[in-house]
Amino acid sequence: MPAWKILNRIKERFAAAVERTDVPANNRLFVHVRPGDLREVCRHVFRDMDARYVISIGWDDRPHSGGFVVSHHFSFDKAGVLCCVLVRLPGDHPKVDSVSEIIPGANWAEREFQDLLGICPEGHPWPKRLVLPDGWPEGVHPLRKDVAWNHVPEGYNHDAEHRFEDPPPGCVVVPFGPFHPTLDEPEHFRLYVEGEFVRGCEYRGFMVHRGIEKLGDSVLTYNDIPMAAERICGICGSVHNVAYAQAVEQAAALGVPLRAEYVRTIMLELERLHSHLLWVGLACHIVGFDTLFMQSFRIREPVMWMAEKISGNRKTYALCVIGGVRWEITHDLKDEMRAMLKTLEKEWLAVAGAVKGDRNLQKRTKGIGVTSKELVKEMGLVGPIARAAGVNIDCRRDLPYAAYDKVDFDVVVHEGGDVWSRVLVRVLEVFESIRIIRQCLDRMPDGPLQAKLNGELPVGRLGVSSVEAPRGESHHMVVTGENNRPRRWRVRAPTYQNLQGIPAMIKDQRLADMTISLGSIDPCFSCTDRVETLDIRTGGSQVYTQTELLQMTRQR
Amino acid sequence: MSLLSKIKETLICFKAGRVTLPYPRETRPVPPRFRGRPVFDAAKCVGCGGCASNCPAREILMVDLCQEVRVVKYIGRRCTYCGRCADVCPEKAITMSKEFETATNEIHDIQQELELFMGTCQRCGRCFTDAGPLDQLKMKGYRFDELDKDRWVYRSAGYLEKEAAVRDIEIEMD
Repeated sequence: MPAWKILNRIKERFAAAVERTDVPANNRLFVHVRPGDLREVCRHVFRDMDARYVISIGWDDRPHSGGFVVSHHFSFDKAGVLCCVLVRLPGDHPKVDSVSEIIPGANWAEREFQDLLGICPEGHPWPKRLVLPDGWPEGVHPLRKDVAWNHVPEGYNHDAEHRFEDPPPGCVVVPFGPFHPTLDEPEHFRLYVEGEFVRGCEYRGFMVHRGIEKLGDSVLTYNDIPMAAERICGICGSVHNVAYAQAVEQAAALGVPLRAEYVRTIMLELERLHSHLLWVGLACHIVGFDTLFMQSFRIREPVMWMAEKISGNRKTYALCVIGGVRWEITHDLKDEMRAMLKTLEKEWLAVAGAVKGDRNLQKRTKGIGVTSKELVKEMGLVGPIARAAGVNIDCRRDLPYAAYDKVDFDVVVHEGGDVWSRVLVRVLEVFESIRIIRQCLDRMPDGPLQAKLNGELPVGRLGVSSVEAPRGESHHMVVTGENNRPRRWRVRAPTYQNLQGIPAMIKDQRLADMTISLGSIDPCFSCTDRVETLDIRTGGSQVYTQTELLQMTRQR
Repeated sequence: MSLLSKIKETLICFKAGRVTLPYPRETRPVPPRFRGRPVFDAAKCVGCGGCASNCPAREILMVDLCQEVRVVKYIGRRCTYCGRCADVCPEKAITMSKEFETATNEIHDIQQELELFMGTCQRCGRCFTDAGPLDQLKMKGYRFDELDKDRWVYRSAGYLEKEAAVRDIEIEMD
């Protein structure tokens, strides 16, 4: 079903509400509606037409149109269309009808534009501060255009503490994080525990919010942002790099050379390979099965070397510029990659065969962190979490980008919904990635790597792009602007939605299963209980144990 | 069945053997495309400023100290080694080296400062680099009579400073 058919169905119901529509391509649909009808249009799109909720984004358009804009993004996965429902809001005291009652997954996104732009979501069930630090004064909204990127407001209190809600009666509070061996980033879960069982939690995150979007629309330029974007995530960096470039290219209606699209596909799949191998290792580490943790990392290392040979770095490939890629894949590299994939496939087959029957692993992961199809729909969960719960979505197939429409692959789906299903989905996706890379290597045509850009990019256009990261769909939106930089750039990483599903996943589970439930979304590792020092001149080494280190620090 | 899979897992471990590399005793050679610390070649640089305006981390500064001297300063603190500067350089004056062990207590170890002697265009009055070293020698103020301070700067006041002008201006670091 192309975009205009979806548009017709929306117009059938809401002919009067639709103010303006843009259909820039067969797979993109932008519907501007009247603010009063926003909630009903969203209900229709989300419930009646069964679209998947992606994200809600606000931006400050006052310098150009005098007001604010809020955009709700949906994906029609079966039709392959990304649909944005936009409303224009007045410049002072902007208010918008909240859709969180209809779409629970919009909870964070609406609180985020309340914090960063001062757009009030009216009727929000829990409009508590989400992104801004606790000591940040009210009324200063950093993403507004009249606030400088390095502005620190008067009255900012560094030492302010977060005001947590009271736990339910009969429950004990167990703090989890900000620093915990199984968390890769500082996040804080305040778990309400009754006996051994978790009854609920409150989340406080955004402790490493780096204001990278503000930099993007005030400091960096179009071609600088890909290098900043890939530093959003240490594992799926290239995903953000490609997603941003694609969003700009879609906004500017810019064609990319075919060879560049194949190179992007290969690099994205290399990234998926090493990310899945890393995740399987870390998941095993979390449940205490360090043998497989070591072996996954051993098998993973040649993938990192391959990426280093292509791009000059193990991670942060600095791959995309607007209109193409920077790194060529030569014939020699192709042959090396084929050999690497062959050994990888052989070794991973052995691991997959061994893991499948491992009852110890199953006992720690079966029936743990269960998600239902309903939860996936309500919260907008994506990636292996959704696929392990039997929801057949994958951006590579549903919203094809780069060269994914030119290769054959299967989407791995499992019905279990628990952590064990996620292990299986990821283990099997490794083989699909190998298959995709092999086809790309065979079918990659000759040609240029970068499109020729003539003049400036057009101004004021909206571009959206979804890329399937190893963890799920990563969604970027760009509004093109003046001075060689976008007016607004918004990133929605897959974990943004998946973390919102955590409270439901850990409810009524044992406290000990919290770590693997969380780890099944996003792997992490920061556990070092000993340090090795090495003297290069003498070649001798000494290993300190934890107690020795403690003694050393105490002596000082 | 679980026992069988334990045996399989053991076999995988035995087959793999020891794979850890002896770093830092021996360093593994880096591949040819490796992107390490960028190195700037003053002899090739024409001072066009392309690197400075394309640096995502804004780590390359261009400062015109006077009509004839342009300073290119690579600060190297936030540098992400993306290699965009080497990409856009029209003279190939920037190469991404193979250096990756760049942790240091002294930031000047990785910084670079190029003092470029620029001529003045007779038509537009803006700066350009002269074609070769002989042309540069003909320019006023360009002397080699003190070898330890090989670049003297002609100031608009009309006399030679004892110190190179580059040192007497505090360049903003960040």
